[in-house]
Amino acid sequence: MYFIHYLVVTLFVRDLIVQYESGGKAVNAVDGLSFSLEDNESIGIVGESACGKSTLGLAIVRSVPGGRVVSGDIRLDNRSILNMSEEEFASNIRWKKIAMVFQGAMNSLDPVFSIKQQFEEILQVHGYCGDSAKTINDAANSVGLPVSVLDKFPHELSGGMKQRAVIAIALLLRPKLVIADEPTTALDVLVQAQIISMLKKLKKEGMSLVLISHDLGIISEISDKVAIMYAGKIVEFGSMREVYSDPKHPYTQALLKSTPKINGESDLISLKGNPPSLASPPAGCRFYDRCPKAKERCKAEPPVTKTSTGHVSCWLYEESK
Amino acid sequence: MFFSHSFLDILDGQVTEVEEILSIRNLKKYFTKDGFMRQKETIRAVDDVSLSVKRGQTLVLAGESGSGKTTMARLILGAIEPDSGKIIFDNTEINADTPSLKKIRKECQMIHQDPYASIDPRMKVFDIVREPLDIHSIGKPSERKEIVYDSLRDVKLDPDEVASKYPHMLSGGQRQRVVIARSIATKPKMVIADEPVSMLDVSVRVGILELIKELQDKHGISFLYITHDLSTARYVGHVISILYLGKIVEVGNIGDVLLQPKHPYTQALIDSISEPNPSNLHGEKKIRINNPLDIDVYQGCRFRARCPYAIEKCKQEPSLEQVGNQRSVACFVEIN
Repeated sequence: MYFIHYLVVTLFVRDLIVQYESGGKAVNAVDGLSFSLEDNESIGIVGESACGKSTLGLAIVRSVPGGRVVSGDIRLDNRSILNMSEEEFASNIRWKKIAMVFQGAMNSLDPVFSIKQQFEEILQVHGYCGDSAKTINDAANSVGLPVSVLDKFPHELSGGMKQRAVIAIALLLRPKLVIADEPTTALDVLVQAQIISMLKKLKKEGMSLVLISHDLGIISEISDKVAIMYAGKIVEFGSMREVYSDPKHPYTQALLKSTPKINGESDLISLKGNPPSLASPPAGCRFYDRCPKAKERCKAEPPVTKTSTGHVSCWLYEESK
Repeated sequence: MFFSHSFLDILDGQVTEVEEILSIRNLKKYFTKDGFMRQKETIRAVDDVSLSVKRGQTLVLAGESGSGKTTMARLILGAIEPDSGKIIFDNTEINADTPSLKKIRKECQMIHQDPYASIDPRMKVFDIVREPLDIHSIGKPSERKEIVYDSLRDVKLDPDEVASKYPHMLSGGQRQRVVIARSIATKPKMVIADEPVSMLDVSVRVGILELIKELQDKHGISFLYITHDLSTARYVGHVISILYLGKIVEVGNIGDVLLQPKHPYTQALIDSISEPNPSNLHGEKKIRINNPLDIDVYQGCRFRARCPYAIEKCKQEPSLEQVGNQRSVACFVEIN
């Protein structure tokens, strides 16, 4: 219905490096990332805090606060969005083709404006000249937000309703691609599940999602592809089915085995230590310190090996040459 | 001391009397809030709750935010006073009298959710763990260093390495270990853990959960584990109480309750869990709850407004009835 007009989306990210300055030192939060997303696919970006997953999301909408893209390329439908002028990006891409639901976004609603006014502001800024009332109602409907909520102020809404409102704002201009950064954290468990089933419905209607989360369970509900990030790099990439049922990288294996299951399966792995500091990352494999399978050769940069649906960076899978 | 045998007895169905470390009877705490136009609104944060924690076991108190979980913890530790009801800890009634408060505050410790907020950033790890010993005058000052070092070793931190560090030099997982070391320094009989892993990264969560189990085996500590996350609850818990808006709706051995929920709310909580499973992608996400209707939640069953099974009778309040071995549920409908 609402998303039928969606065009196919293709997103390419190649060798992306995003840098922050910290105490006079350059920190590569995203360090040489490559992945691609084809027509109407959704991708899950998984990783622990400070692995660079949010920075990646922000880089795609060209809004990294205090940081900059040093090298690499991001292409949407075969056009580089990094080479565009800011004006062109703002008027043609941001919010029209790619929108973002920021982390903790439900707190970003302005307390002194009603929900409807905040919707209208987005339309105004982007010079929308269609039937704005209908557009707003459609967006609200698509996330299951009752129309009566539109006249309310943020403090009158529950966390779940606010989160729906924020997602509806991202959907206003019918972007092809929505980046959602931890869209369910800080919500109650039942509300979380409702938001996920809503995102599933939007996806079915044709929206593509880049879902950033640390929760492998949530990712498995929505993503066709998965990128596992560790310390600024993608260590494993592939179809969700392959990565979950046959994880190759020891980090992926550990992540999948670190969540307790409701049926009480007790075969769990706990990782020792902490991710390395991105200010002075170790040479070679960044997972070296914590890896149960580490060997001497892991002190050198691991090779990238093709898997049936993606790739993995680990010495264990070095192709025989 | 080891108490795990008594737990196994219960699993076998032979109920042996295990002594209770904490017993709460008909506890009530209402908060009133002034609304607009002098309308007063009463929130029944804890409403007639009874529960008991057996020695050496872990009781999980599960529910959403606003269900009264944290209020329970504050009531037990005497941070706020209950309106009515009894708290009996280690055969002593806890009330406003100083000796009883001293007892519970020494022998029942707390682990808070956020290890970034629950320790003083200007104190060194050694002083953080030592502080409760000074407060409760445990050991001679000369012995306290050894107690602190033992506690740090118990939580798998190297005392020589961390004792002189400040919290900002530690990772989230290490901080939570410091918090746990502080909580066990006074050799408590019980520890209340309020969402101890929800702020931590997934890869370090299991380590903390394992530590909790290990400390229980080693020192026989009883835990009251407060959480909304049923999967981690399953990993550490023995018995579970499901709380909804200040009322316990279901109690039982954790395996029984989570594999065969009898209350619609428990069922919805279990539905809401997404486990990492590739078959989720093309499946439906089904949560058996309704959107809340605008009705007075304090009339009849509180879950009625969201319950897909609600019947006419639910306008009366269901009481917590025993339905089997160690199992009670407050619901008129049989959902299975």
